[in-house]
This record gives sequence, C-alpha cells and structure tokens, in this order.
Amino acid sequence: MSATVAPQQLGAPVATTGTTRDVRRTGGGRRRITTWVLSALSVLLFLFFVFPVYWMVNTSFQPNNEIRGADVNFWPEEFTLRNYATVLFDPGRTPFLPAAGNSIVITILTVIISLVFAFLAAIAVTRFRFKSRRTFIIAILVIQMIPGEAMIVSVFRVIDGWHLLNTIIGLTVVYIATVLPFTIWTLRGFVNGVPAELEEAAMIDGCSRAGAFWRVTFPLLAPGLIATGVFGFIQAWNEFIMALVLNARPEMMTLPVWLRTYLVANGTTNWAAIMAGSTLMAIPVIVFFLLVQGRMTSGLVSGAVKG
Amino acid sequence: MRKLGIVALGAAAALTLAGCATSGGTGASEDGAEIRVWLVGTDTPDEAREYLVDTFEKENPGSTLVIEEQAWDGLVDRLTTSLSGSDSPDVVEVGNTQAAAFTSAGAFLDLTDEYENLGGDDLLPGFVEAGSYDGKFYAAPLYSGSRLVFYKKDALAAAGLTVPTTLDEYISNAQALAAANPGKSGIWWPGQDWYNALPYIWENGGEIAVADGEEWDAQLSSEESLAGLAQVQEVMTTASSAPKDGNETSPEVGFCDGTSLQLSAPSWVKWSILAPADAEAPGCPDQEENLGVYALPGMDGGAAQVFAGGSNIGISAKSAHPELALSALEIILSDEFQTIYGENGLVPAKLSLADTLGTDEVAKAITAAAGNAKLTPASPNWADVEASGILTDLFVNIAQGGDIKALAEAADEEIEAILNS
Amino acid sequence: MTTVDNGLDPAPSAFEGERMTAPQPKPAARRIRRIRGGFTPYSLLTPAIIVLALITGWPLIQLIVTSFQEFGRAQVFGAPPEWVWFENYANVLTDPVFYAVLIRTIVFSAGCVIVTMFLGTLIALMMMRLPKGFRILLSVGMLLAWAMPALTATVVWGWMFDTAYGVVNYILVNWFGMEEYFQHSWLIDPLSFFLVAGIIIVWGAIPFVAFTLYAGLTQVPDEVLEAAQLDGAGGFKRFRLIIFPYLKPIFLIVTILQIIWDLRVFTQIFALQDIGGIRALTNTLGVYIYQTSIAGGDFGQGGAIAVITAILLMSISIYYVRQVTKEEEL
Repeated sequence: MSATVAPQQLGAPVATTGTTRDVRRTGGGRRRITTWVLSALSVLLFLFFVFPVYWMVNTSFQPNNEIRGADVNFWPEEFTLRNYATVLFDPGRTPFLPAAGNSIVITILTVIISLVFAFLAAIAVTRFRFKSRRTFIIAILVIQMIPGEAMIVSVFRVIDGWHLLNTIIGLTVVYIATVLPFTIWTLRGFVNGVPAELEEAAMIDGCSRAGAFWRVTFPLLAPGLIATGVFGFIQAWNEFIMALVLNARPEMMTLPVWLRTYLVANGTTNWAAIMAGSTLMAIPVIVFFLLVQGRMTSGLVSGAVKG
Repeated sequence: MRKLGIVALGAAAALTLAGCATSGGTGASEDGAEIRVWLVGTDTPDEAREYLVDTFEKENPGSTLVIEEQAWDGLVDRLTTSLSGSDSPDVVEVGNTQAAAFTSAGAFLDLTDEYENLGGDDLLPGFVEAGSYDGKFYAAPLYSGSRLVFYKKDALAAAGLTVPTTLDEYISNAQALAAANPGKSGIWWPGQDWYNALPYIWENGGEIAVADGEEWDAQLSSEESLAGLAQVQEVMTTASSAPKDGNETSPEVGFCDGTSLQLSAPSWVKWSILAPADAEAPGCPDQEENLGVYALPGMDGGAAQVFAGGSNIGISAKSAHPELALSALEIILSDEFQTIYGENGLVPAKLSLADTLGTDEVAKAITAAAGNAKLTPASPNWADVEASGILTDLFVNIAQGGDIKALAEAADEEIEAILNS
Repeated sequence: MTTVDNGLDPAPSAFEGERMTAPQPKPAARRIRRIRGGFTPYSLLTPAIIVLALITGWPLIQLIVTSFQEFGRAQVFGAPPEWVWFENYANVLTDPVFYAVLIRTIVFSAGCVIVTMFLGTLIALMMMRLPKGFRILLSVGMLLAWAMPALTATVVWGWMFDTAYGVVNYILVNWFGMEEYFQHSWLIDPLSFFLVAGIIIVWGAIPFVAFTLYAGLTQVPDEVLEAAQLDGAGGFKRFRLIIFPYLKPIFLIVTILQIIWDLRVFTQIFALQDIGGIRALTNTLGVYIYQTSIAGGDFGQGGAIAVITAILLMSISIYYVRQVTKEEEL
C-alpha cells in the first residue's frame, strides 16, 4: 500500500532524502521511521500478549518444587513431563480425559445445534413479515442483559425436572439457550446481507423457496456461520458455573470445572499441575482458532456492516 | 474443513453414547444400586476410603459404592443445589459449622431412630449438637481435627526459647523468633486464615456472636474480643511474613524451605511436611527429627480453646436408596473405620476411640487441644457468614494493620445481618 | 448458479412479479422487503423459541417471582415461600453495599471498555501500516491471547502476580531494583486488584476488537485512505472524519458487546478472588449476585438484585435498542 503513495506528495517541500540535517524530513523518511517505531511497538505488544501463554507453558514443564524457589526460571532448567502425567493419569485425581471428552462433545453439539436453530430463526426474522417479529428481535436483545448467575437455581430445577442432571444433553441444552440470542442476532445481520433477489432468481429457475434458500443463500453465509459458531464454541468451552452446578458428578465434569478442582484443592495448590492442565485446556481452542480465524473476522465485519 | 466436521461429529456421537451409558447405569437396576458418597477434601485417608468401598460391597452384594471427592471451597453452594436435585448424592460430608444450614432446611434424612445404632452417646457431643436441629438428629459426627502448633526445634533452641506455656509467651516467642531471623515467620499466618484467630478471641473472654433470645448479637467489637483481635494483629504484623491476603494452603512449603519457623495448622499437616521430597506436593522428610509440635497454650496455661474443625456426615433426604446409604453410614461410624482416622491424626467420631491417636507428642497435643475445643455460633445461617467471606476479609484487613475497632464493628453489623435474616 | 435475467417472462407469483418490475436497488439504500409467510416464519422460529422459553423464559419468570418472596435455602428444599412483595427490592435499594458494588462495576467496566476500544483501535490502525512479517507476528500473539479460556487466563495471570513466587514481583525486584515489590501483594488493595483484573480482561478482549476493526479497515476503499493521506489532515482528525464513518457500524456493535460483557463479568473476578483479595471490596454485580443467592442462600434478594441489574443494563443500552427498533421498522 505504501508503494502507491509517493513520499513527496505529503506536503513536504521537495528535497532529496536526508542529505542535510536542517531540511524537514520528507514523507518517505518519516514514514520509514514510523514503520520502524511501529514494528518495534508491535514486538512489544506481541510480548505482552504472548507472555502469559509462554509463562504457562514454561511453568508446566518444571517440577513443582522448582517453581517455588527463590529464583524464577525463564526456561525449564529441569525439564519434566511429570505434571502432564499427573494431570492425565494420576488415579487420585479427577481424570482429564473424560472431562475433555465431555467438553468436546458438549461444545460441538452446542455449536451445531445452536447454529441450526439460530439459522432458522434468522431466516424467519429477515425474510418474513409476521406479527410479533419486532417483539422477538427485541426480546433476544434484552435476554442478553440478564445476569445468568441469578438464574442458576431456576435452571437447575428445570433441568432436574427433566432428569437431565449430570448428562451431556442437560448441559448442552443450557448452553444452546445461552448462546442462541447472540447467535440469532448476529446471523440475522448476515442473512440481511444476502440480497433476497438472488433467491428469487433461483426460484424463477424452478427452485422451491426452501431450495432456493438452501442452494443460493446458505453458501454465502459460510463466514457468518463460522463467526457465530466461534462464539458458541468459546461460550460452551469456557463456561463453568452452570457446569459446576449441573454436572457435579466427577465423571460428568467439563474441563473448566476440572481445572478448578486443582485450583481450590485444599492442602496444597500444585501450580505446576494447574499450568499443565491449563495448557491442555487451551490447546483445542488455539487449534480451532487457527483453523477459522481468517474467515471469522471477515465474516463478522460483513455481518456488522450489512446488518 | 468438511472432513474435519464429519470426523468430529462421529466422535461426538460415539462419546455421547459413552456418556449416556455411564449415567444410565447409575439408576436402580436389578443387580443392586450405586451409592454415591461425597467426601470433602483430602482429610480422609486412602486406607479408609478403600475400607469403606470394600466393606460396603461385601455387605451389600451387587451394589457399589462410589466416593466422589469434593473441594471445601464452594461446598455450601454445591450442596444447596445437588442435595435438592433428583440426582442427589446419597451420603454427604459437610463441615460441622455448615451442617446447620442443611439440617434446618430439611436436606438430610432424619436419623433420630438410628442414633443409638450409630454410636449413641459415644459420639462426640459437640458434633452431635452441630448435626441436630429442632430436637432431631440429622448428621452424625465424622471426625474432628484440631489445630496444632508445629515448630522447628533447632530454631526455637537457637533463639534460646522453650515451648510456651501461656498465650502471651507464645506471642512473645513468635516475635523473638521473627526478630532473630529477619524475613522469616516466627509464626506463619496468612491473612485469610481466620480459624487461627478464634482462640485469641475466646481466650480473652470474647465471642463471635451470642444468642439473645431469637436474635443473634455479634460480639467481635466487645472489649474482650477487641483485646484478642489486638493480639492477632500484633502477631500477624510483627511475627508473620506470610502474604497478608494469602490463604492457608500449602503450609509445608514455607516450613520446608525454612521461611516458616512455626505454624498453626490442622494435625494432618504433619504428613504434608513429611511427604517425600520428590512427591507431587513435596515435603521435607529430613526435617522429621527437627519437627516439634504442641497444643496452642491458653491465657492461663493449659490448652487454649481452639476451633474444633471437623465434619458431619448425613444421608440426603432425596437419596434413592436410603437403606443402602444407611448401611454405608454404619460402616463409616464403625470402630474399624474410625480407627483409621485416629491412626492418621484425626480425632475419631467416638469418644471411646480417643486412644487410637497413639501416645506420641502429636497425639498428646491433639488430645489436649480437642479437650478444650469450641464451636462457631450454632445458627443455621452461620454457614452463610462463612461463605460470605466476612471473616476472611476481616482478618486480611487486620493483617494489613487496619483499625481493629472500626473493622470489628463493621464485621459485627454484617454478621448480625446474616444471622438474623 | 443462476443469475438475474431481466429478459425472462414475468413470473406468475405476485411477489416475483413485483421483484421483476422493481428497479434494481443499490445495496446500501436497499429497503428490505419481507414476505408474508403464513405459518412458515413461526415454524422456523419454533426450535429457538422452545429452547429459549424453557431454559431462559421459565427461569426468568421464576426469578422475578422469587424476587418478591422470602426465599432461602429451606425453600430450595421444598418449604413454601412467603410473599414479601417489594421488601427485597427495598432492602437492595437501601443497602449502601449494593450501590458500592454497582458504582464499582460501572466504573470498572467503563474503564475496561474504554481501554479495550482505544488500544484495540490503535492496534488495528497500526496493523494497517506494519510490514507483513510484524503484522503476522502480532496477529499470532493476539490469537494466542484470544484463544485462552477466561478461567485459564485468570489462573495464569494470578500465578504471574503471585505474592511469593510470581514472575512480576521477581522482575520488578531483580531487574528494576524496586525492592518494595519483594513479596508485594497485588490483590490485597482493591485498586490494585482491579488493575490486575483489568489487565486480564483487556488482554483477553483486545484481540477481538483489534481483529474485527482491522478486518473492517481492510474494507475501507484504498482511495479513501489515500485521500486521507493526501490532504495533510492531522492524524486524529483524519481518522475521525474519513476513516471512522466507515468503521462506525462495526465500532458500534463491538462497543455494545464489550459493554454487555464487561458489565456482566464473572469468571475473572470470581476466580481471582479465590487467589487473593478482599471479597467485599472487589465484588462486581455478577459475583455479588452469586454471593448473595447461591453462597449466601438468600435467593429472594439475589433475584431482586438481578432484576435491577437487568433493568439498568437495558437502560444503558437503550440507545442501541432504539437504533434497532428504528431499523426494524423499515
């Protein structure tokens, strides 16, 4: 981009770059310096963002007694995988793998089902005119403002009433309800962004309305579905108060609850093991983000602009 | 992307089935049932857990018993929901100070008829009281732990001190140790550890709160309590280098690296200190010879009135198999099971088993401390006072050198608001 | 795939006929036309409405009912609740603690939102001018931070700020010789507690803001950016007058989301209180509600606080809701 703007055009007197000291810097020189400053700044910012991640991984590879020494190790002097072994296989602890399995299943189900439901709802509010349409839209906006912490017990009783405590389904349903308002809201913007004319054209070619929607509009919504899916993913993967209350059985725990059992274990806080657990818990999210990051932000932007 | 999605879906389906299979097997099936026992924290030794599972399954062929370990932190929150639900655990441990919140709410099965069967008057009286409500017996004693003072023999000797016999001497010892060893704790006392502060209040004649008819009257700002709190602040600020807002976890770390010369902690901390040096939570077994222990001395000599921490255990009113749960409870209160507690330094639920503690220094200190143990106010709302964090906040503020009178008055107001709500 | 072909015969359906005769609207000015679909929209909404009604609607009604009752732990276990009508509300609204929590929450989240939006915008603008390598580097860093689950992030930051073994104190003491930070407790002083909490929240929120705004900036036409360079306007002015209008819709939605999320912040504060700090002085609304209802066993009062909070949040975002309503009238 910088190549398209000639340095002399920035209003500075035309002068050869940097031959005399008293000449005001040309745009090019200033630009280069700005670029340098910005680059240096970006490295600092990079360190700021990465440091906790690095510190987590660094701690997780050190023996628990090392990390409590008078000195701080910036690199595992005594490299060990023991913390990972502890977290993964220690029989005395709530095991990691079932918790990870629960988390993965619940998260995937939440994302898929909430996307399907939200998608249908988004079509309804963008493509159709019907009574109470506005009420519905405002309702899903308002729902997001109610503090969920206050409803824990009521939700618990609803789920208990269906005998879905300590099940995958129970927690999944709760998470779907948690992410639906936001998902509908965002997807609505995306569907608005796809001109209805495209569908109608397809209908002229003989598609049914549903068929036209499916064949024409749906593919154009891919970035939107990814962007909103990510939110469902983050929500379901990270939520822990509902999980703590609804799935109290050790074999039905999700990862955040599992991680917390280490944090509040009485007697001893095994920071090294906690860091190993944290690392394990973060890896799937990082992988997922790496997969979808590009589409996600561009998708979100088009949704916002067109919505 | 698409491929990944399909793989993930397949995995999801497989795992869901697996998940359903596990939870499906827990109901009342024809082969017997599964009893879920919630034990809190790591106090109950593995040996006792194994004994419980084995004995139960031998006595009730076809049925299984599963122990689910819970954390103390947030226990009241979790019990409130779990016990009221249809998938309630069958047998649950609860802190003795928290028991009233649940006995009064009807969360436990009435065990009045089983009182004699479970041990009768041999059960620790203070804990029976904690587990009873309105004349009915709901939750039996499980064990009691008392707090002991652990110290480094060489450090005490080097400072020319001896084991204290009065509270004042204990305080001056701690200060002398801290003065002689700059940067170290004469008594390690993190600010959140409010249990340790209670003896100071009680020994000075103060109380947390007293019942005045229907109403509770909080007493932290009484003259006697303030005298105790002043001592607490003195120790915290002049003799302890523990974090002012820290909690009481991992006391062995400071003891092992030499920065804590004395610490007051539950009796089982001895095993944390003596854990192998390469354990997950490493201890320092080489310090065994150097590790001394005594009961906190009172104002006028003898053992101080310390906080009688410990647990009660009851059967959920919603238990699907109360008969089996009772059978598990009987095992838990059997002499064999309780003896294991005694051998591991916890006071068994039965008075007749006191001698299982042994006769060593620790046992003597435990017996001395337990003989003079005291409880927090017997109100159903007391658990809420604990859960609200009023007391941890109060002592964190005191540790920072805050104005005791103002802090105590504010805390009294909050405590009364909760107890009388 | 088919393309619009105006040469086709008019379709029999009225809608399609209407479409055919209508002029092709420009996307920006396009009025959204909606179809009267009989039962179709309702059936499309059914799954979402069922889930929301059961898991959000019903508990919400219960919450409101509870807020008018004396509802304690005994009631959870089946005792009949007693109606006290507005007593819970009166208690909450006359309790200075509630106002302290409220003001604390608003000030804290306002701080977080402002800092997040400011830094996020700066970083987005910066990314426009960074050489590719540095841009990727920064993106990777932000991506890692973004992907960290909130609980994990709080635990890790808490460990970094640990009084005795934290790396922050270590660096301040050993690299910068600031001895006063030896064994310094970061969480004990409420202000410092919120500084740490704020760092954790902002650290986790900036990537979302920066990435989104950056993606928005890349859609600003090149000519506009060039024009902005050419006319020699000052940096800020240039941004405000030329670039910002393009970003406004994104900026608005991102800000609203940040406000809602930060006002409802729970995990970070809740987990950080486990690590240290004085609860009474560091409670925010979400945590306070949890403390009152679940931990404290006073569900009636907790419900009242929640209802009041929801009303407050709604009035804060009324501007946005109005915008939406206006738009929906089209």
